[in-house]
Amino acid sequence: MGKWTRRAFIGTGGVLATGLVVGVAGNMYVSKAIKKYTGKGMGDGESLNAWIRIAPDNTITLAVARAEMGQGVYTSIPQLIAEELEVDMSRIKVVHPQPESPYANTFMMTQKEPNAFKGYNLMEKMLAFLPIIATGGSSSIPDAFTNMRTAGATAREMLKEAAAKEWGVKRSDCRAEDGYIINNSNGAKLSYGELATAARTVEIKDLPELKSKADWTLIGKPVQRIDLPEKVNGQAEFGIDVRLENMLFAAIRHSSTIGGKIISIDNQSDIENRKGVKKVVLTEFGAAVIADNTWRAKNAALALQVTEDDGGNAGINSADISKAFDKILESPPLAISEDEGDVDAILKGEGIIESTYEVPYLAHAAMEPLNCTVLVEDDKATAWVGHQGSSFVHSTLNAVSQIPKENIIVNTTLLGGAFGRRGEIDFVAKATAVAMTMKGTPVQTVFTREEDMQNDMYRPAAKSKFRAKVNDDGDIEAWDNMMALQSVSKSVTTRVAPAIAPSAEADEATSEGAAHLPYSMNNRKVSFGDYASPIPVGFWRSVGSSQNAFFTECFLDECAHAVGKDPFAFRRDKLNDHPRFKAVLEKVAEISNWGNVGENTYQGIALHKSFGSIVGQVAQITKVGEKQFSIDQFYSAIDCGNYVNPDTVEAQIEGGIVFGLSAALYGEITWSDGAVNEMNFPQYDMVKMNVSPRVQVHIMDVDEYPGGVGEPGTPPAAPALANAIFAATGERLRSLPLKNHGYSFI
Amino acid sequence: MKLNINGTEKEVNVEESMPLLWVLRDELNMTGTKYGCGVSYCGACSVMIDGIATRTCTLPVSAVVGKEITTIEGVSNDGNLTAVQRAWIQHQVPQCGYCQSGQILAAEALLDEIPEPTDSDIDAKMTNICRCGTYQRVRDAIHSAAKMRMQEAELLD
Repeated sequence: MGKWTRRAFIGTGGVLATGLVVGVAGNMYVSKAIKKYTGKGMGDGESLNAWIRIAPDNTITLAVARAEMGQGVYTSIPQLIAEELEVDMSRIKVVHPQPESPYANTFMMTQKEPNAFKGYNLMEKMLAFLPIIATGGSSSIPDAFTNMRTAGATAREMLKEAAAKEWGVKRSDCRAEDGYIINNSNGAKLSYGELATAARTVEIKDLPELKSKADWTLIGKPVQRIDLPEKVNGQAEFGIDVRLENMLFAAIRHSSTIGGKIISIDNQSDIENRKGVKKVVLTEFGAAVIADNTWRAKNAALALQVTEDDGGNAGINSADISKAFDKILESPPLAISEDEGDVDAILKGEGIIESTYEVPYLAHAAMEPLNCTVLVEDDKATAWVGHQGSSFVHSTLNAVSQIPKENIIVNTTLLGGAFGRRGEIDFVAKATAVAMTMKGTPVQTVFTREEDMQNDMYRPAAKSKFRAKVNDDGDIEAWDNMMALQSVSKSVTTRVAPAIAPSAEADEATSEGAAHLPYSMNNRKVSFGDYASPIPVGFWRSVGSSQNAFFTECFLDECAHAVGKDPFAFRRDKLNDHPRFKAVLEKVAEISNWGNVGENTYQGIALHKSFGSIVGQVAQITKVGEKQFSIDQFYSAIDCGNYVNPDTVEAQIEGGIVFGLSAALYGEITWSDGAVNEMNFPQYDMVKMNVSPRVQVHIMDVDEYPGGVGEPGTPPAAPALANAIFAATGERLRSLPLKNHGYSFI
Repeated sequence: MKLNINGTEKEVNVEESMPLLWVLRDELNMTGTKYGCGVSYCGACSVMIDGIATRTCTLPVSAVVGKEITTIEGVSNDGNLTAVQRAWIQHQVPQCGYCQSGQILAAEALLDEIPEPTDSDIDAKMTNICRCGTYQRVRDAIHSAAKMRMQEAELLD
């Protein structure tokens, strides 16, 4: 059996913990559902398959079972379907279907192109079989790229067959064009709406061939986002905007220490007498106040006097964590991710370059605070929530309410940001437990910003030690990288399904982005030690790459400077075995006019592959004062293989850079006595307009299977900036955030 | 209390200290105005009060009685999108979209005050947080909206 992929932990955990969703599922069922589908994923009514419904009035409704959290998936997946279905994008409406088996995200689980079933090993076959309907790991397009075009093409052929029967001609005598089937011999035409009813009974034996790239009219074109009109007029419905008849609002009061527990509420009747308060409850997940208004609920929750058990975690302090990392770095590694040649033999005597880097815990801090609305009735439960995993929501409602799976409805709304946080089930479980106490009444449970920030599943803090030797020609003779951090996959699985939680040793996510670097090195070793802690850690946009790109690309810069080489040339000369990396690096150097900047302006460069895509970035900064810089410009080149919507790709790189910069400049979650110190945005600040750089993006033209784009823009931002600051000041900044080094940015 | 919201009078019966944000969202079901931080820092809850962009998550409702309140739902009073909203589409500004009601209200107020803002004006006036990082497009859209507004004003002359 192969190593577990990072995402497989949570997916498998979710399934094993609570059972299969609806029937069996998996990759092979996707192709069956493309041909014929009788489920209710799209709601009542007849569909051509699990993704496409055409009404007699020619309205085209497409099911997109991936969460729209800003990455544009409600547009890019329809682009794939419409390309083959031959319909105009302006006629398409999107629905988010119920979590049924054909919508499984098999790429997320296997990291292999769908329809590659024969190429799966045993573990991958098992993973591809699981009905994990989730959005994450920048996997939506890699998962959809073949399947959704095939779904569109098959529906088109069904419509052609229906028309051919009507006209008494062969299917091959018909063609599809802009929502019509046309009879080639006489030019007669029938609209899709007229044909849809008859087409539903057509059986297509063989999956049709897909258009060649040269014939694409929608894929690769900057199609306008379907979800934007309602995002500029206030009509877009996020989870927190759900409003139902007789609905109530709940606020949670979490324990003040992480992993602690509220044992009793000492002023329950006082709080229940407050205006608008309906009920005060103590569930296994914490205390909650249910009221007729969010503000009344949250004020009442703050006023609760509670007795707590600190869960034994009151001793957690940031200073101790950093010291624990030092100890791990001096101990034998738990696991070795990569070991080529004999690093130890080379790293002796003189000339060793040695540095240690460190990053703190980070919160996700999506703009929409966590929330979930649940209605529990006698034998039925319904959720309205913006979540990255509709099948996880389904399983969680079942597990908490014990209501049968077939009587659970999951309505997935738009997500006001997610970045990995909305793949967790904690807030769904809490909202369900609260709603269980108010049967028959829908209850919207909303975290305050403070509760959201202080009860996150954080990006783990990490410390990474490097030792290297570089010869006078600039060749890396040896590269030794040992890191200390918590295992994300272990933490996630421990929450979801402790019985199957893997050892930290098996978690390749830990060294993701640090091992298997593209650069030529004569000897290399990458290893890690586990920092065991009750602090819950989770997937945070770009996961392991979020810290490892900063560590590796800054240390690589140190190596270049140590032998007096230009940081761009130093990298380029080590990429001869990896032409796609080399091309990206050369492109970003070209568009940034690398090395040719005016007085007081400085550049830094970084290159990193994550989620199947290679991104190179150059940060360009101007010194405006002592330790003060303006981040003028970022240049970025990306090779994500074939891309669907170039405007969305650019937007994700622009936004991914800002996300990376917020962490690099300000981001830091610190611990005192088992609690998070930072409460809200003033303490956990974000890059705003005045600091945000201009971003210029170049998308490489590469005819390869698509990589992801939601995450890969983030990792190179911090190292590109830190390398630019080194170019300006000669000061090597080896920890984040940069505000702690006295730097400020305008 | 009687409130003038988007040109319509609304009667609400709530505590005087309830922030306008929660009156809009939970009492009137006008959910376009968003809760982001609750401490008047992120700007997701911005509306216009007598034409000035104002954060409402800490603003007691009693303070806005008798004033003109304009929310995202009423920023366009004739059913057509405003120049700012059209520029937002043209530049494909929103990603997740959650902060964009507040961004749009802040941009409308900025252009009402400074019809041709410079980049420095935009830096100074647009202080709302966008976690998706759409700032470059917000900036470009404001410049485009400024042009559209001036062209429309010329047509009206």
